[in-house]
Amino acid sequence: MSRIGVFICHCGENISRTVDVERVAREVGQLPGVAFSTDYKYMCSDPGQNLLKKAIQEQKLSHVVVAACSPRMHERTFRKAVEAAGLNPFLCEMANIREHCSWVHEDKEEATVKAVEIVGMMVERVKKNRVLPTITVPVTKRALVIGGGIAGIQAALDIADCGHEVILVEREPSIGGHMAQLSETFPTLDCSQCIMTPKMVDVANHPKIKLYTWSEIERVEGYIGNFQVTIKRKARSVDEDKCTGCGVCMEKCPVRKIPNKFDCNLGMRPAIYVPFPQAVPNTPVIDRENCIKFKTGKCGLCQKVCGPGAVDYEQEDILIVEAVGAIVVATGFDLYTIDEKPKGSLIKGYGEFGHGKIPDVVDGMTFERLASASGPTGGKILRPSDGKEPKQIVFIQCIGSRAREKGISYCSKVCCMYTAKHTMLYHHKVHDGQAYVFFMDARTPGKSYDEFWRRSIEEEEAVYIRGMVSRLYQKGDKIVVMGSDIAVGVQVEIEADMVVLATAIQPQKGADTLAQKLGISYDKYNFYSEAHAKLRPVECATAGIYLAGACQGPKDIPDTVSQASAAAAKVMTLFSKDKLEREPIVARVKEAGCVGCFYCKKVCPYGAVEEKEIRDRQGNLIKVVAYVNPGVCGGCGTCQATCPSKSVELDGYTDEQIVAMIESL
Amino acid sequence: MNSKLNYAYYPGCSLHASAGEYDLSTRELFKELSIGLTEVPDWFCCGATPAHNVDELLSLSLCAKNLELAEQVEGDLAVACAACFSRLKFTQHTLEENATKRKQVEKAIDAPVKLDGKVKHLLEILARDLGLERLAAAVKKPLSGLKVACYYGCLLTRPPDVPNLDCVEAPTIMEDVLKAVGAETVAWTHRMECCGANFTLSRPGVVIQLTNAILDSAKAAGADCVMVGCPLCHGNLDIRQKEIEGVYSTSYNLPVFYITQLVGLACGLTADKLGLGALIVNPMPLLKEKQLL
Repeated sequence: MSRIGVFICHCGENISRTVDVERVAREVGQLPGVAFSTDYKYMCSDPGQNLLKKAIQEQKLSHVVVAACSPRMHERTFRKAVEAAGLNPFLCEMANIREHCSWVHEDKEEATVKAVEIVGMMVERVKKNRVLPTITVPVTKRALVIGGGIAGIQAALDIADCGHEVILVEREPSIGGHMAQLSETFPTLDCSQCIMTPKMVDVANHPKIKLYTWSEIERVEGYIGNFQVTIKRKARSVDEDKCTGCGVCMEKCPVRKIPNKFDCNLGMRPAIYVPFPQAVPNTPVIDRENCIKFKTGKCGLCQKVCGPGAVDYEQEDILIVEAVGAIVVATGFDLYTIDEKPKGSLIKGYGEFGHGKIPDVVDGMTFERLASASGPTGGKILRPSDGKEPKQIVFIQCIGSRAREKGISYCSKVCCMYTAKHTMLYHHKVHDGQAYVFFMDARTPGKSYDEFWRRSIEEEEAVYIRGMVSRLYQKGDKIVVMGSDIAVGVQVEIEADMVVLATAIQPQKGADTLAQKLGISYDKYNFYSEAHAKLRPVECATAGIYLAGACQGPKDIPDTVSQASAAAAKVMTLFSKDKLEREPIVARVKEAGCVGCFYCKKVCPYGAVEEKEIRDRQGNLIKVVAYVNPGVCGGCGTCQATCPSKSVELDGYTDEQIVAMIESL
Repeated sequence: MNSKLNYAYYPGCSLHASAGEYDLSTRELFKELSIGLTEVPDWFCCGATPAHNVDELLSLSLCAKNLELAEQVEGDLAVACAACFSRLKFTQHTLEENATKRKQVEKAIDAPVKLDGKVKHLLEILARDLGLERLAAAVKKPLSGLKVACYYGCLLTRPPDVPNLDCVEAPTIMEDVLKAVGAETVAWTHRMECCGANFTLSRPGVVIQLTNAILDSAKAAGADCVMVGCPLCHGNLDIRQKEIEGVYSTSYNLPVFYITQLVGLACGLTADKLGLGALIVNPMPLLKEKQLL
């Protein structure tokens, strides 16, 4: 006979405002099998948990139902409390009367009746819960970091400094990411290269970091503590071990006019190249699409001039498999491109701003390269069309960001600050020039940020115009900027020499594909989702995978570095144990009924279903049935829904339990 | 696809008055293209700009009632005037999104609001329903050598998510139609700017300034003429052109055509059937020079 205890939480007023919690406690107390029921203001608090523990011991409870918020929020909390009181934690279930009831209803009478029914269903379910032993799995104490920008570099260094091996995978030929492209950084104006390149060198020299550049994640299998990651090392056509980085191949390459992506296509590079002189590793890669040798079979000059014989045209893509226990995703961002977008796309584009048509309308990253000492103009601010110094420059903020009608509603967070920085860099380099900024609001919530922004106006003479721009068009060698000044209520027209658009931050291209390989969730913009916006901001809902940097949402450098170190700390917490406990909510096959159709195997997203032979005592094969590896099963229940003979069931969610829940209504 | 296209037709007040040539050329062109056009019986004013500035419920109700009347005629609702098109689309959009306003309107017109019927601008019918290929096949006299500045004005594509005619700020539908009938379209800067619209009566100075910028830009881009889809834009660009030339001491001499006039010309219709005589800036010398008449 069950002795079930039911605990109804008020959640402050979140539940009690629309649900009569005392009445719920009274009514469910009458249900068969319920031995005790009560309500309390905050069940998750220390006194609330003590109340629960005390009741289990004093009332000799056999099962527990906590009627409160979503189990995603506090199931672990209450199961731990139940375990502390001596019960098996899987004999505790939560009834969600907050998200599923009080938050979505207004009528107190109706909500109370519904709450009683929700709790009644969980009472029926918990009666049939089994005692489940915790499953322990070993932990592989190596980490994978995906993305070699500042986020990935910081996370990799922190983990490696703790003595754990790190595999760092970067898609481009060099690590460094966007930060390596920046000229100077706010709010202190220190040179990005000067603070970034030493960290890149640290990565290259770290004995615990294995660096794979020009590589991509092909496949991810396994689970927390035990991932198998297949990495595609794209053919570099240059042997990394032999290459000394002398650069003779790049000097001799006859193909010279390929726009360099690193310089936002302003500078040119050869077909065998490193993206920038401070690249790590300093090993060139052959761009096979543009190489004469690969296109026509002739040339081969780079191979002839290479002293150590590192150039290898025969190199092919190879797949390697690495075993890791934790994954940090740090794939960063990409800038919104403002050209017109294909029809049906979520993002609408800014055809009216002439980007791509008017050469002197550029984005913020292009301006960074123009202002950078290592950029294509050697740090002189010269406009792309004719190389003249722009004397009137207009910066326009919020291009794409906060523009719901253009498809993006979020704020990109960094543009107010980097535009203020741009006006300063411009003022330092073009003394007789004038910078104008069109802006909606200035958002400067960071340490020393507002002071920095004010400096751009008060000391560096930028003119800020509150209002947006409707249209840009070329008139002779000027760009006419038509906008509004909403502070004064007038239309403004500026004839500018150059226009810089502060375009929105978006996740990297292919972020969704990578998320599907990793099995992590992402929002409609393809930003990766954290497990909890406030309390678990660096963890994914998928155990063992952590987030760092702008792949989770727009972030500046200080925030990115902080999050990367936080993700590293989470990895270290995981690595601090030799064995990992995991939830035993897994599927079990009832072998008697299984006919071996293996539909379950086809649908299992975790690859947990194996084939098992059933033999008699003489060793004759009777049949082949499905077997669910409990270490791999993710407990999603897809197999149970698929099985035609109803021979596989998820513990805690058996058909018997679900039928009992329905019948209680 | 050879099935005959049929539409209910909402001309709107302008087409029965100052823009008679737009109405005439629309009817003649559709006849030539074998597209059925049946005028909505007993239609009345959509409320245009004044109604929604004064009383939103009135403006929505006028359009809702017209939409209800249009249900009597088979086919989607074809609209020529950009303002009528905008108001009808706006009404559909608002009543779909807002249940409270929908209830108020239903009370006002004493009938259930029907939002299933599609409202289509003539451009959509030519470019999509008929299709550019079939339109090109109907051409008898390609408009070769005629350089046209396509002028969209404010209402055809804006605001976002309401008319859904084409890309809001960088549409191409007018250019697509004109290219299909053999004309050349110019790239110019002011095709989406406001002409000043109704201020032509209350603040003519503003309209003269705005319209001058449009004509100036079209001329600078090398256009021979301008094409519009809105009677009010037409009035400002065509009727006021002489006056603007006087104020700015310049000469534009840019005939301003309706969409249906240019497409009709390409389909072999005569100047009479297209009402070309009603245009203030005389298009005849240009059309003769280009050997299109």
